[in-house]
Amino acid sequence: MDDSWGLTRMTRVEVVIGGEDVAVVSSLISDVGATGFTVVPNVSGLGHGGFHQGRLLFNDRDGLALVTVVLPDGKCGALLDGLRRLLERRSGVLLVSDTWVSRPGYFDSPT
Amino acid sequence: MTKASASGEQAILLADVDEAARIVAPLWPLSSFIAVNPLWGLREHSFDRAVELSARFLGVHGYPSPDLYADAVRTGRLVPEDLWHALDEHGSEKTAGRPAADGEVGASGTVRARGARAGGTTTLARYDASRGTRLAESTDAEVARWCAAYAAGVLAHPDGGGLYAAWRWVVARDPATRRLAGVRGRAVLASLPDRAEDAILASLERLGVAEVDRVDELSGQLARMPGWAGHALWRSRWAAAEEPGPALHLLDYLAVRLGYDAVQREAAVDGHESATHRRRPRNELRSSRASRALRVSSGDADVDPRDATLPDDLRRALTALAPGRAAAIWLAAYEAHFRDDLLGALGGAVAGRPLNRPLAQAVFCIDTRSEGLRRHLEARGRYETFGFAGFFGLPMRFRPWGAAEPIDLCPALVRPVADVGEYPAQVDDGSAARRLEDVQGLAGMTDAFAAAKKGVSAAFVLAEAGGFAAGPLGVAKTVAPSAYARLRKRLGTFLAPRPATVVEPAASDRAMTDDEQALFAETMLATMGLTRGFAPLVLLCGHGSTTENNPYASALDCGACGGNRGASSARAAAAILNRPQIRLLLESRGIAIPDDTIFLAGEHETVTDVVKLLDLDVVPHGRRAAVAQLQEDLDVAGASVARERARRLPGARQAASAGEARSADWAEIRPEWGLARNAAFVVGPRALTAGVDLDSRCFLHSYDPDGDADGLALETILTAPMVVAHWINAQYYFSTVDPDVLGAGDKTAHNIVGGIGVLRGCGGDLQVGLPLQSVFDADRAYHEPMRLLVAVVAPRATLEAVVRRNAVLRDLFDGRWVHVVVRDDEAGGWAVRRPGGTFVPWEPAGRMSAEPERTMSEEIGARG
Repeated sequence: MDDSWGLTRMTRVEVVIGGEDVAVVSSLISDVGATGFTVVPNVSGLGHGGFHQGRLLFNDRDGLALVTVVLPDGKCGALLDGLRRLLERRSGVLLVSDTWVSRPGYFDSPT
Repeated sequence: MTKASASGEQAILLADVDEAARIVAPLWPLSSFIAVNPLWGLREHSFDRAVELSARFLGVHGYPSPDLYADAVRTGRLVPEDLWHALDEHGSEKTAGRPAADGEVGASGTVRARGARAGGTTTLARYDASRGTRLAESTDAEVARWCAAYAAGVLAHPDGGGLYAAWRWVVARDPATRRLAGVRGRAVLASLPDRAEDAILASLERLGVAEVDRVDELSGQLARMPGWAGHALWRSRWAAAEEPGPALHLLDYLAVRLGYDAVQREAAVDGHESATHRRRPRNELRSSRASRALRVSSGDADVDPRDATLPDDLRRALTALAPGRAAAIWLAAYEAHFRDDLLGALGGAVAGRPLNRPLAQAVFCIDTRSEGLRRHLEARGRYETFGFAGFFGLPMRFRPWGAAEPIDLCPALVRPVADVGEYPAQVDDGSAARRLEDVQGLAGMTDAFAAAKKGVSAAFVLAEAGGFAAGPLGVAKTVAPSAYARLRKRLGTFLAPRPATVVEPAASDRAMTDDEQALFAETMLATMGLTRGFAPLVLLCGHGSTTENNPYASALDCGACGGNRGASSARAAAAILNRPQIRLLLESRGIAIPDDTIFLAGEHETVTDVVKLLDLDVVPHGRRAAVAQLQEDLDVAGASVARERARRLPGARQAASAGEARSADWAEIRPEWGLARNAAFVVGPRALTAGVDLDSRCFLHSYDPDGDADGLALETILTAPMVVAHWINAQYYFSTVDPDVLGAGDKTAHNIVGGIGVLRGCGGDLQVGLPLQSVFDADRAYHEPMRLLVAVVAPRATLEAVVRRNAVLRDLFDGRWVHVVVRDDEAGGWAVRRPGGTFVPWEPAGRMSAEPERTMSEEIGARG
């Protein structure tokens, strides 16, 4: 990353989880103070539970969803604590990576 | 109100609460009553294991009573061969269905591992059990009181916030709390932290609950009042964020509950003895729910086969079963008898559409009440009927003309994807606006009258001001309900006439494009196998139920439309399918609809079985005779099915013509039976069931396996309509086998609270499930409690491929929440699916092979 680009480093958390668990993940994200997130319903792919087609037409809750949130490091720990506890008992995938954003204020409003 | 960001500890608590909430089911508000499997959160366990867990935590009797089986044996509904066969198939199993494996991903690990600890499901309940006190019941009563006040809008914090904020704001001055917990305890509650999460953590610490026991404690807390907890679960995990009204959330609910538990226990330990939680004799404990849970889990629910007249050897075999197994065997036998009867009746062909073009095709909802109407309409002549979920595949947020709030017309499993509205049909010349004012004015007056009736002081003013008119009207409504209903309708039309309207996609940011409309239409037609051979008229028929003074009215409406009437969905779908642009797009996708085909909308009124055709202005003059003929045949078919259904209703109003009176009578407690006696979900071509009287017991979903090579249509049917049918079936099942815990009790004792639910009497828990009058005829069960039989016409390999890629189907099929039979003529007719995906050829009880015919692994592997 070139500092001259003027970007700010943040943490990106992606979680693939059952559609019915999107509500609790959304609550976790909101409660730790994230300012927004993205949900992609009915994602497909291969995991240890087999291949998921991601094409349920009239059932949002039993497919898989990808939830992505970007937040400053200070808010990340609490979210990861909650997600880890959740995934002790539910199927899912948790990915954490560095990311850079051009408008940090969008992701770090005061609470 | 704003609050600080959650810490890690708080986030972990949130995850624990979500896990604990599996023990209760979401409870929808009355306005959109959704039937749900009350044990849905436990579906990753087998049915029998989930019943066992619900016995421990909720005190549920999860199997039918011995009396029901004794009656069944007496009447031949259950014969010894059924029981022998069930013993052969299930008797040797240690636990039915899928065993709960340690470390299984996705299972409710903590609940499964420990279950309820001896003496009760919460710390305070165990304290009660050891000391002979009733502190936990006091918490229940207090929390129920606060919840009711909050739901009714009586309790609210001036700065907003949820139940916890509102309660904490007033509890410092609450005399009832002082009586319960003393001045000190009340002060502790008043000084609880701002955040509900922190309050929960603080109270758990005061109660001495270790983190490892936290999920059990929280489950126990929620299980004590599954109604209020279920409502909080719905609000927290299922409701739309913009849902109006007071928002009772799980965290707020638990914060209040645990607060009372903690301070009451401390007060008791410190010697504070109040009038409301004084000690009581030990034997009195047996009447409480907590002790009931213990009795149920210790085996009281087991069926005693000696209650029925059986051969000695069979009785000995049943008596020798381990505790808990007999109940499962009796249920399996009872279900198998119905399965054998049904499959025996479906012996005909499974393929073939009419050779000649039908006069009309009619698509009805899969609702069991459509079956009779389809049968009688087909008997009238050249009609072809189909079954499809009553939202017609269009999940929409619909704004009726003149309504302030939109309604979601779609199953609970899916979010609306499109905005659709109802608009005046004519170009606005000012008359529509005037009529809108009239309609809204009349609606406002009606709402004001209803609000005044419920107001504390306004009710007296209303009685003084309007009693002179309301009294005679009340008498008229009582002695001549039908005439009163007609008069009221005419008066409403006179005061506020409605213009002719159309239903069409709204111009919003969720407006449907032409491509999206064509995709919706293609999906609907392809899923039910109607992609060719279109008739000149195609009726899309929704359904609804008109009843008076019935808190459970929406339970009789269309479940696929979110507990609403189905006419608007039918109108929207028909309007889209009549658009020339959509026809062109469909043709490009391989579905050619003849130019002379007109899609009509209609609605089946299920109390009277009258079908009303809608939006007939789309019919050209030259085609009106055909439409009139269709209406006439629908009238005759409706009258026939009304006679059938009326015969099943108890009481004096059995005549088919009494339907209108039942619909209008505000004292009628059973206007219709709804979906009682539902038992099977049939997926296949109509040729399979045509001409067979299925007694309104089957959900019928049309499906053409020949046009579904990749199984996409079957996957759609099994993962959505079948799941909804299972929810309905499970709700009827549990409301019948345990009306005390999972049923809503006697309608005549119901009081509506906050418009969200009903109480039995004046307080306590919100009622879950169905009222007694929906499933019982006096003291006898009218509904036959059985798990849903799913009968599918499809290649087994296609079915298994669909099951393999959908966890919800594996849970339901392998866990024996439903039974599955499949007809694959290439593989030899009907076969019974066993957990894991093996099949045995179906034969009536006593002759079916106990060994799997073959596994499906090779066929699955071949299909990828």
